[in-house]
Amino acid sequence: MAEEPSRAAQFPELGRVSRAFAGREIFFDLEGFFWEAKDWDEEIATILTRESGLAELTEIHWKVLRFLREYYFYHGRAPLNRHLKQGTGLNLQALETLFPGGIRLGARRLAGLPNPKSCF
Amino acid sequence: MPHRLVYLDNAATTFPKPPKVLEAMFSKYAELGVSPGRGSYDLAVQAGDAVAEARQKVARFFGALDPDRVIFAANATDALNLASHGLLRPGDHVVSTVLEHNSVLRPLHHFRERGWISYDLAPCNGQGFVDPAEIAARIQPNTRLVVVTHASNVLGTVQPIQEIGRRCAERAVPLLVDVSQSAGIIPLDMAASHVSAIAFTGHKSLFGPTGIGGLVIHPNLDVQASRFGGTGIDSRELAHTPTFPHRLEAGTINLMGILGLSAGLDYILDRGLADIHHHEIQLLTRLRDGLADMTHVEMYCASSLADHVAVLTLNVQDLNPEDAGAILDADFDIAVRVGLHCAPLVHRQIGTLHRGAVRFSPGLFNTSEDIDRAIEALASLSGPA
Repeated sequence: MAEEPSRAAQFPELGRVSRAFAGREIFFDLEGFFWEAKDWDEEIATILTRESGLAELTEIHWKVLRFLREYYFYHGRAPLNRHLKQGTGLNLQALETLFPGGIRLGARRLAGLPNPKSCF
Repeated sequence: MPHRLVYLDNAATTFPKPPKVLEAMFSKYAELGVSPGRGSYDLAVQAGDAVAEARQKVARFFGALDPDRVIFAANATDALNLASHGLLRPGDHVVSTVLEHNSVLRPLHHFRERGWISYDLAPCNGQGFVDPAEIAARIQPNTRLVVVTHASNVLGTVQPIQEIGRRCAERAVPLLVDVSQSAGIIPLDMAASHVSAIAFTGHKSLFGPTGIGGLVIHPNLDVQASRFGGTGIDSRELAHTPTFPHRLEAGTINLMGILGLSAGLDYILDRGLADIHHHEIQLLTRLRDGLADMTHVEMYCASSLADHVAVLTLNVQDLNPEDAGAILDADFDIAVRVGLHCAPLVHRQIGTLHRGAVRFSPGLFNTSEDIDRAIEALASLSGPA
């Protein structure tokens, strides 16, 4: 069972927040992305999914999350848009509506990939 | 069957480049690619001549008085840094605007954080234009420089440079104009507009390659060197040469970029700036009108496209701009720019600082069909469930 993040456990000067999951301390950035992709596991993903408003991850959700992770660890970066489409067999508009938060704040975040630092 | 890519990110860099420009650049570089102006052998002299010819073209293009005050740099950011480092001294004050790119804002911020300078930013109105009176009102006795973008890279609005220049001239304050988004589309004559310096980049609407840009300065503007090194002249002296253009050009210059820029200038002069602008604004108008009835699309500052370059920034309701860009790319083969466009204060002003926006910037090689594809795509976009 996840514990609520405590203010004392936050490290705003580093732009990250820690949370405890079953005794493990996991760090997230301030947008909720995993600080370390390797900290992700399916149990944490399931908890975060419920927090995002989705009751459960279906097989298609898991397929997307697993593809994202496998691609990330094989290539060292997130998939190109067209690779995401090819790899999941879903167009990106469909992927957008599959996850609360859409592609970036939904699928990518729940897959435990780092926050994409684009022009922001 | 996959679509041809519809490239609508010309405000970032024009793509594709005209084949004529690429051919001229490559063939001249193949012929003259030695160190220009450094050796006494014929080929080095000829390469130097090609650079001198490019300086003359740039000077003519911007109405500058002296080709030797055309300083080649890596891009507009580099040129703006050359200007700010070379002009500003402790205690100086600068006036700029909220429309600026970080290429202007970050050097100013850097100097202010170190306590060297202060600056004030003039706002823009609800349509994305800066009132010259707002700039004049911020000029102080110690104002050393006014820096203004000619065209906003987020809103596409073209600023009234001539009137701003007139007001700066009245107060004897130099005006530096960032023409990154306008050069090659909107003419700017430095002398006629009381402009003391311009910073340009070659890879946008001047159709050169990336890695070339420059600073063009009025002979009265005393820009000091901020980097030092070999120039090919005055080599006996350990002090860096005060002679322009070498004063501000340390090290071997980007010959291939200069040749590309030179060919790009030939191309746009042959094609005609007015013709290029007309074509791009027609496309922009088609896009704006095609989106006008879509209640899920919010366009920023696009009620009138007078005094605009071809930039339209928008958001799709409930859809993260980054996701919108990804969907447009993967599902529709449409390339756009999302985020804050390195211009955070504009986004703050239009209320998109927290999420960014999606920018469409048609270019010379886009067609009406490209725009229709973008309209069709945007019609079908929606946010997460």
